[in-house]
Amino acid sequence: MEPKKRTLQLPVSLVGPTDLGRLSRELANIDEQLLQLKLRQPGGEVKLPKTTQLMDQLLSLNRLNLLQPADRTWMREAMEAIRQNAPVVQISFSVDPSTAFLEKLMAWLRREIHPYVLIGIGLQPNIAAGCVVRTTNKVFDFSLRQNFAKKQDELQKALLSAPAPTPAPAPVAAPVEPAP
Amino acid sequence: MTIWWLVLILVAIGSSGIAFIWLAVRLNNNALPGKDPNASLEDAANRDVEHIFNEAFREELRNRGRLHFEKIIGENAMFLQQDLRLTTSQLNEYMKTEITHKLTEEFDKYEQSIMDAKQLAIESIQKTNTAIDEQRAAMSQQVQQEIMAEKQQLLERFESRMADVVNHYVIAAIGNQIDLNDQLEYILTELEANKQAIIEDIQHGT
Repeated sequence: MEPKKRTLQLPVSLVGPTDLGRLSRELANIDEQLLQLKLRQPGGEVKLPKTTQLMDQLLSLNRLNLLQPADRTWMREAMEAIRQNAPVVQISFSVDPSTAFLEKLMAWLRREIHPYVLIGIGLQPNIAAGCVVRTTNKVFDFSLRQNFAKKQDELQKALLSAPAPTPAPAPVAAPVEPAP
Repeated sequence: MTIWWLVLILVAIGSSGIAFIWLAVRLNNNALPGKDPNASLEDAANRDVEHIFNEAFREELRNRGRLHFEKIIGENAMFLQQDLRLTTSQLNEYMKTEITHKLTEEFDKYEQSIMDAKQLAIESIQKTNTAIDEQRAAMSQQVQQEIMAEKQQLLERFESRMADVVNHYVIAAIGNQIDLNDQLEYILTELEANKQAIIEDIQHGT
């Protein structure tokens, strides 16, 4: 019976290539520290390396144990494969997105687009609202600016057909009470 | 009758001549035998002269001559002074008349020159004013046309860019007011609508 091929699941908090690179460096650091612990003489004080929250989520999601060299090796190879092959989508927002927002967006992207998709976050304050998505060869503009541009003719017609505003009446001075 | 008168006259003349000659001879015979008669006459004349023209008479004559000479000199000086005054007066009058005449002529010429120059200046100023007015009118018209063209161009540009202006204003006004979490549903809807295109591009790009 052929063993079931394992696939690395990425947590939604792992957003972009930067996070993936950070995880790779952390994994290499942990691997190095465990190797040093292995080389130490027995009876000495053992201090396990600390892991980040993102690493914890990755390990928990994939049920991996960093103390197992096989898991570390497999994890390293899988992350290297993802780093080389994962599709990267650039998404620009008008403001810096929050973590909760990114997690929801990543959940949808991993579910609907690609399980290993990574996104690069950009800022474009002039789009007002929405976002601009850039894939390898295309640009999808979902911004409010683009929406306004599409409906510019309708707005222009509406503005031209609007009646001229009537001038506001001049303010009347408040009556002055006579002095007692 | 006439002949008798003529003879009578001739006789009278002859008698007178004979008497004169006799008197002269007589006088000559009465002179001193050892002296020159001419010298006695000169002496007598000198004595008469000395007797008549003595020192007082000569002094009187000199005084009279001096007075007469002074009188003549004074009269001549007075005449000369009068002539000189008259000449000076006439000369002054002449000079005055001539100078006045010359000055009047020069002033007339000068005035005429000034009038000519003034007329030329006035004509030049009028021409310049006319040219300036024409140029001002042309420039004003040109400026008006350019202003109208610019206004029309601005109006057309404003009308064409009015929607952009409104869009820009709306985007600038509400851009920072919309929470990104509120946009999540809209973004996911748009992503869902373009999901297939995104997948295809990712697969082809990958």
